[in-house]
Amino acid sequence: MTGLSRIARLALLLVVCAVRLADAQVLPSEPIALANGRVIVSGDLSAAYGSADPGFFNFTDYEHSTLRLFRVDLTAAVKAGPHFTLLGEIRTENLGKVRPYALYLRIRPWTTRDFDIQVGRVPPTFGAFARRTYANDNPLIGYPLAYQYLTTLRPDALPASADELLRKRSIGWLVRYSLGDPALDHGVPLVSAFRWDTGVQAHTTVGILSATAAVTTGTVSNPLFSDDNHGRQLAGRVELRPVAGMVLGTSLARGPFISQAAARAALGDAQDAEFMQTAWGGDAEYSRDHYLLRLETIVSRWQVPIAAAPPSQIALQTPLGAFSTSLEGRYKLRPDLYVAARYDHLGFSDETGAAGTLPWDAPVTRVEIAAGYSIQRNLLLKIAVQHNDRDGGVLQQVAHMFAAQLVFWF
Amino acid sequence: MTRAQRKEHRSQRVARPAVIFVSFVLSFVPLVSVAPKAGIVIAARPGSIRGRVEVRRPAAVVERRPGVADLGTPAGRDVPNLLRSVVYLESAPRGAFETSEGGHAVMDQRNETFVPHVLAITTGTTVDFPNSDKFYHNVFSLSKTRPFDLGRYATGASRPVRFDRAGIVRVFCDIHSHMNAYILVFNHPFFAMTDAEGRYRIENVPPGSYGVIAWNEGTSSEARPITVADGGVAELDFTLR
Repeated sequence: MTGLSRIARLALLLVVCAVRLADAQVLPSEPIALANGRVIVSGDLSAAYGSADPGFFNFTDYEHSTLRLFRVDLTAAVKAGPHFTLLGEIRTENLGKVRPYALYLRIRPWTTRDFDIQVGRVPPTFGAFARRTYANDNPLIGYPLAYQYLTTLRPDALPASADELLRKRSIGWLVRYSLGDPALDHGVPLVSAFRWDTGVQAHTTVGILSATAAVTTGTVSNPLFSDDNHGRQLAGRVELRPVAGMVLGTSLARGPFISQAAARAALGDAQDAEFMQTAWGGDAEYSRDHYLLRLETIVSRWQVPIAAAPPSQIALQTPLGAFSTSLEGRYKLRPDLYVAARYDHLGFSDETGAAGTLPWDAPVTRVEIAAGYSIQRNLLLKIAVQHNDRDGGVLQQVAHMFAAQLVFWF
Repeated sequence: MTRAQRKEHRSQRVARPAVIFVSFVLSFVPLVSVAPKAGIVIAARPGSIRGRVEVRRPAAVVERRPGVADLGTPAGRDVPNLLRSVVYLESAPRGAFETSEGGHAVMDQRNETFVPHVLAITTGTTVDFPNSDKFYHNVFSLSKTRPFDLGRYATGASRPVRFDRAGIVRVFCDIHSHMNAYILVFNHPFFAMTDAEGRYRIENVPPGSYGVIAWNEGTSSEARPITVADGGVAELDFTLR
């Protein structure tokens, strides 16, 4: 039995079991409270199965596609008095290794003031979507390209020239370069939604304004637990809620992206410069009656070490830029039925190689349309169709895909 | 409990409103009695049923899900009173609806809590759902009795829902998953909410024999038999475990 057919059977089994258990009202419908409410445990389970994705449009690493993913999240909050709460989350994908996704201490120094400090593996400061990646928060099955699509850029391996970078266009799911780590590995998205960063975060709300600042180990593209370049990322976010239902946000993050080992491989052991990722994001959300609209734009620039190009090849021009825009809408047709759609585009700055000037990775446009049916309040069935279009690269350039996803949460 | 027993138990719980309706149609408890003397018709005086409901193991308050992805501590909220119970006649006397008119009731949304947490109404009642918070709520129900979704609306706005079928309606907020409430819709007026001490009193019950049920947070007692005498007060206490 292949891995994929195992996932398909598992997904089907889950659908049947979940519907039967829901009908029998055996599944929990609320978070589990222990120790007089001091410990709260909740869970999210999602099982998605869809078309094959030979173009690797939906892959989050070499093995996992969001359209064929069984994910289990368990989250817990342990309250230790009015000032301290320990929060954590563990996650497994396709019944693989259980990984800690979040683990941090939330400190509220003054109980009467809306000010918190969070220390540990903290939620993303940057952007809007990164904090609502749970399947029941996402009206569609796919993720916005900025948060999921793997570019050909790696923090631990570097192309020796613009020509080498351009040859890799579209194969960010598994890419190898001549400098730095020689192993095949996946590139990074603009903003990672699948790993959280480690550091300290402060958040406050005053009236309609809320602000967050964080110092972390990695960057938005490459959140880390252990530092690889002795640099720290600074990130900030400001959110404005001028009227009920409207959220306007802007985020900024800047931190060293390239690992020290990769930089030394490109420039020699003596170098100690930092090669930064700088990202800016703007987002807006408006909801009213039965509809919800979200718009998010992200611009990112990565400085990369410029090694001496091999003969007859052209050196890299830095920084490398990328930008994404996604527009998402959801409309509830009935209490138990909604439709949703997302338009998404991911583009890249130009790079000039011996063969000409091209975006350094192949631009991608995606349109996804979905419907969600609530079997019960916390059991949701989604179906989606997705059209992907990639402008260039060596992989499949156009793909139409179908997927279904069952989501259960408590 | 076997699967068949569970199914039967569930179907009994689901079917209780239907039983109320069928009983309403079929039962015959005369609202007037004919005196044996000289053809004089004397109206029977209604009585009442009173007592106390003790909730031995109160339902736990639905906690907010751990906001692991939140950037800070969520705002405080009110905690609903889960000790309020509803006591009602299992079957209604004939003619119970001759004087019943659908009125208005209010279920507010305040500090991320539905107020009241439990509402008992008769069919034909319109419930208004005002939003008293500074942020959106989205009241909805997937109950078979009365599915509805009021969408998102701001502070000060209110939207109505009319309930025309008897049954139990669970109400939720689509934005705040810990917000929940119950609306019990009866097709007769013989029910009462308990007060803070668990006391209740069902008024204007025509003389006769009835089954009485106490309900709290989705748990129902068995129907307890009681006879209401002409103009009398019948006492009945419940313990819900």
